Amino acid sequence: MTEAALPAPLAAPSVDRERLAAIGFVLPSFVIIAGVFALPLVLLLGVSIVDANGLTLANYKRLLGTPYYLGVVWNSLRLGLLTTLIAFLISYPAAFALARARGPLRSVLLATLFLPLAASVIVKAFAWTILLRSDGIVNETLMALGIIEDPIRMIFTETALIVGAVNIFLPFMILPIYAIVAQLDSRYAEAAATLGASPLVTFVRVILPLTLPGIVAGVALVFSLSVSAYVVPTLLIGEKYPTLATAIAKAYLLAREPGFGAAAGVVLLAIAIAVVTLSARLSREPK
Amino acid sequence: MHTPSRRSVLTSGAALAAIIAAPARLRAAPREIVIGGPAGAAKYFNADLFPVLEKKLDCKVLYEGTNSLTNLQKMQADKAAPKISVVIMDDPVMLPAASDGLITKMSASSIANLGKLVDGSVHQDGMWANYQRPWAGIAYSTKRMKTAPGKWSDLWDAKYASRVIVPSLSNTEGFWTLLAAAHLETGKPYKEAQYEIDAAFKKVKELKANLLNVYTNAPQAINLMEQGEAWMIGGQFSAYTLIRKAEGSPVDLAVPQDGGFAMPSGIAKVNGAPAGDLADAVIDFFLSPEAQIILADKAFVAPTNKGTPTPAGFPDPASLFAPDWAFVAKNRASWVDRWSKEMT
Repeated sequence: MTEAALPAPLAAPSVDRERLAAIGFVLPSFVIIAGVFALPLVLLLGVSIVDANGLTLANYKRLLGTPYYLGVVWNSLRLGLLTTLIAFLISYPAAFALARARGPLRSVLLATLFLPLAASVIVKAFAWTILLRSDGIVNETLMALGIIEDPIRMIFTETALIVGAVNIFLPFMILPIYAIVAQLDSRYAEAAATLGASPLVTFVRVILPLTLPGIVAGVALVFSLSVSAYVVPTLLIGEKYPTLATAIAKAYLLAREPGFGAAAGVVLLAIAIAVVTLSARLSREPK
Repeated sequence: MHTPSRRSVLTSGAALAAIIAAPARLRAAPREIVIGGPAGAAKYFNADLFPVLEKKLDCKVLYEGTNSLTNLQKMQADKAAPKISVVIMDDPVMLPAASDGLITKMSASSIANLGKLVDGSVHQDGMWANYQRPWAGIAYSTKRMKTAPGKWSDLWDAKYASRVIVPSLSNTEGFWTLLAAAHLETGKPYKEAQYEIDAAFKKVKELKANLLNVYTNAPQAINLMEQGEAWMIGGQFSAYTLIRKAEGSPVDLAVPQDGGFAMPSGIAKVNGAPAGDLADAVIDFFLSPEAQIILADKAFVAPTNKGTPTPAGFPDPASLFAPDWAFVAKNRASWVDRWSKEMT
């Protein structure tokens, strides 16, 4: 009985069974993603284009047709772009330093990168207001070095916002680049040098393209996080720098205009999706 | 075969009864009640008020501390099956809660202390009541300012460039800056000036050069004043500033000569609240002299129960202006919008 019921031991599984198994593996995550992410997004879109009188684009017209709200969209974009650019400029060399470090130094560097992730973003934003105040360590240092004579106002300025945002989101740029750099085969650079390439040419033509997937992942992560940040601009600059995220909070909590809040949410999402899609396409570009 | 003795039958019976009775004992554990209220009050509620309340009513309080507008949003989301039984919010937020049917009328028959409050403390025929009255003025850093600010116009004084913080209009206390501005611009008393919003905005724009920040997060603002980065916070109130002062921070609260304001702290029963009878008892406790003496002592708020003595050093409640909150609630969203456009 048992022998008869056993499948032929060496028979390869049929394509259908493979496909079925694949579907079985994908199904739980699909259900979660569809139910927890996709469905609410569809509802969000619905709320933004439907009002008591039926379909409407009024919320989008208000958001994208008034100079004030265009300014709000621009503020969000500016925060996302500046944070991403500066984070990239710091992260790229940092990722190389991390990849080349050995032994305890690497552990220390990795710990300095990971440990701040354990602290709440609120704590970090608060800490920046302490560092940047007129008798804070930054002003004191600049004065001690003779760079400035009197304390300069740094808190609640765009500079403070960008500095804080870069600091808070930096690990999300360094880690993906580090992951790629750590696997980089040093023989490529050596081969380029053997063939007569200068260090600059080697970097531009060999190293940079090879690390592109890490850069793209970091850019997508940091941009999505910073363009939609709520706590960071709220604590570091306040009402003078309204962003889409703060506009959404106001629309829902204060003005009780869920349609407008949803429209702002859709626009924010569209910006983030555009950047992530663009990044993904860039990383697939033929070398 | 062994025949059970009388003693063993009795012992087994007693053991069985104990097992059956156990769930009843568990059921007798204190009942739980969810109270929604301001995050800023969580510290003194949890430390000083709730232990007394829990002992008195043999219940366990679960406190959801956030801002009033978030609690309003939560109540709307949970309208079909409310989780919060008692809600503590400011009057301008009670108004939409009442009109949306999220809170329900209370009566002196089930909440005896409702009938013992000073005039003007019970709103919309018992829809909500004021359990305390913090007062608002100008909070200032005693480290930076040797003399207390005497008038609201001090906030506009050019020598305080980038030293002043004011609350956002999203916060209840944000209205005080606008009201003071209307009063200064028109020269009218608060009662009339409160409706002169164009004049208020004209004057408030002149405050721009002095503004270090406009806060939605009160602890951050107070923190900056304690550090001496901000010198004054316009429209701050006693239940925040004076608690920090009592804890040793170099801050104080001045009531300007042109008059301070009464903050509207309300308490209400949620419509369809779980543990309805316990909710009544909790509200009655908040309105009782027993609770209000604790609040006056720990949180520096004026009591509203006639039977509670007003502590020495508190301003005369009659001198504090209470505005037309219905007017504020109706217009606040458009003012916030206008503020964003004109002040940024």
